Amino acid sequence: MTDVPTDTVAAGTAERIEMRERDFAARRRRKNLLGRIGFWALIVLIAVFLLFPFYWAINSSLKTESQLRMTPATFIPRDPATGDIAITFQNYDAVFQNPTFINAIKNSAIVAVTVTVIALVIGSFAGFALGKLRFRGKTPSLYLILSMTMFPQVAVLTGLYAVILNFDIPAIPSMILSYLLFTLPFTVWVLTSFFQQLPMDLLQSAQVDGATPFQSFRMILLPLTAPALVTTGLLAFIAAVNEYLFALTFTTIEPDARTIPVAIALFTGTVSRQEPFGEIMAAAVLVTVPLIALVLIFQKRIIGGLTAGAVKG
Amino acid sequence: MAVATEEKPKRRRRQSKLAKGEQRLAYWLLVPTLVVLVAIAFYPLGSVFYSSFTDDTFASDVDTNFVGFQNYSDLLSISFVELDPELDESGQPVIDPETGEPQYESPVEALPREPRRYRNVFTFGLFGNQYVLGATDPDFILSIFDTLIFTVSTIALETIIGLGIALVLNQPFRGRGVMRAAMLVPWAILTAVSSRIWEWMFIDTRAGFFNVVFQNLGLSDGQTPFLADESFQLPAAIIIDVWKTTPFMALLLLAGLALIPDELYEAAEVDGASWWSQFKSVTLPLLKPTLAVALVFRTLDALRVFDLFQIVFAQRKYSMASFAYYELIDSQRLGYSSAASVVIFFIITIFAILYIRSLGLAEDD
Repeated sequence: MTDVPTDTVAAGTAERIEMRERDFAARRRRKNLLGRIGFWALIVLIAVFLLFPFYWAINSSLKTESQLRMTPATFIPRDPATGDIAITFQNYDAVFQNPTFINAIKNSAIVAVTVTVIALVIGSFAGFALGKLRFRGKTPSLYLILSMTMFPQVAVLTGLYAVILNFDIPAIPSMILSYLLFTLPFTVWVLTSFFQQLPMDLLQSAQVDGATPFQSFRMILLPLTAPALVTTGLLAFIAAVNEYLFALTFTTIEPDARTIPVAIALFTGTVSRQEPFGEIMAAAVLVTVPLIALVLIFQKRIIGGLTAGAVKG
Repeated sequence: MAVATEEKPKRRRRQSKLAKGEQRLAYWLLVPTLVVLVAIAFYPLGSVFYSSFTDDTFASDVDTNFVGFQNYSDLLSISFVELDPELDESGQPVIDPETGEPQYESPVEALPREPRRYRNVFTFGLFGNQYVLGATDPDFILSIFDTLIFTVSTIALETIIGLGIALVLNQPFRGRGVMRAAMLVPWAILTAVSSRIWEWMFIDTRAGFFNVVFQNLGLSDGQTPFLADESFQLPAAIIIDVWKTTPFMALLLLAGLALIPDELYEAAEVDGASWWSQFKSVTLPLLKPTLAVALVFRTLDALRVFDLFQIVFAQRKYSMASFAYYELIDSQRLGYSSAASVVIFFIITIFAILYIRSLGLAEDD
């Protein structure tokens, strides 16, 4: 930054400048060290904030009933008498032998997978039309879909439940159908923007070659949008697994159809006693670990999908 | 020449045929989506509107009657009454010997009882007077207040903490990838699961994490009933929601930060701008669009909060949505619950319109 001046008169000034620069550098280093410590303290604080509750669930899931009742609560499972570390897997055994819970996993899988597939199929049709075709009424359709992504589910709860009771629709198909309320508009919205970004050249050359619009959709656009479908599908799947209001309401008179969130919320344990928190925490860990694994594997896609709509403004 | 002029209209006809085909295809492709939305959104919404004007109930053979706006007036009637200070025999106001505050008549006496009974929602002091807010359905009015407080507090905290986390994680450092992955953990945990984990952490004995912490800090005897005590309920709900959704906010903001070109910061650095003025004049304005979208989605989400309140509080504290749920399932009052749903729908719609308006303005800037 500072060129050494050749002028001898200025040499003293240059030296002084250099000294001051060195002084600054030292001060900056000291400040940097403090800053770095502060920075890493912040990182640790954020990590604890993000992960501690899940750690507490794991910790509690590895404790026996008497260890859970120990006061004050211990940060790792300890033997009440000796204070040694003592881990038990009995809560996990109990959860695995809990037919309600196993059934709930099955129900959730059926509901979430079916909803995701239907939303992707129907949604990619609509997304293609809105993203690539010219037709009258396109702008109102887009606004309709966007406003539907903000639709409050509770507003139609009584109406849907009345229909379901009137026509005696079983809980699982009811959930599949009603979950399209929040998965479909979202899927259409994201896929529309993906289709919009796709280059038109391929489509045009296919048209020149005499392909019908549907052929070009099936043979060119769909393979190209496979990554987008994976991202949207994952987000729709997670949203469907997470849904609680409809699931709780529709399974009121059909407990066998309960999904994971409902089963966890109403967990009663194998032996009837009050709030078996050890088992609840074990169940919590068991359903969370695969979800976290899924999310971490597809990390980049999920972050991309979540931020796609927002960042573009 | 003659051939060319003949060719033109022909091609146009062919093109318009193609365009017509495209239009027809577009409509066919949209049909399934529209059919589904009509079946599960518009038709049920219409039937909710309709039954909100009836006294329809589940599981009963009683005939359904059209009751007009009765449900709405039962839900929403409120009355503000000034409470008179209590006077002793000599006409002097009674002072509570413990608190030194003047005593007031009880809200029950002050609130109207005819033709309908108003019950106490809350009392508050203003300009030295004491007032009571009464309502024919205090649970619903309170659920609206609580949901609004919940929404404003969670959104404010999430935005501030989320922005802080995003700014920290936007720095280059070793382990950034790990931290980004860690951010997805609260997001990936099901709301029902996180509600139960926090319910256990908030449990009212020293077996719970927060009671241990509170006792160690000397703030309580380790028996605080966080989830049953009125003064801790909303703060607890806010903490649970902030934990679950702050990472989402931080991820969105992080993506927004990545879009800000480095040159802007370099230029600011050369100009000798401090960190704070860089933040104020570069980061914040350029982050505004991202922030705005994130705020819209989070606000509309928070207003319809259900899982957390239903699981953690059951009927000890209602959100708007959990109130509608309990009216439907526990009380079986289809008409009344529908009216509550319609009110919720309008509240959320008003927020959505206001937000989208202000977003539109933000884009014009």
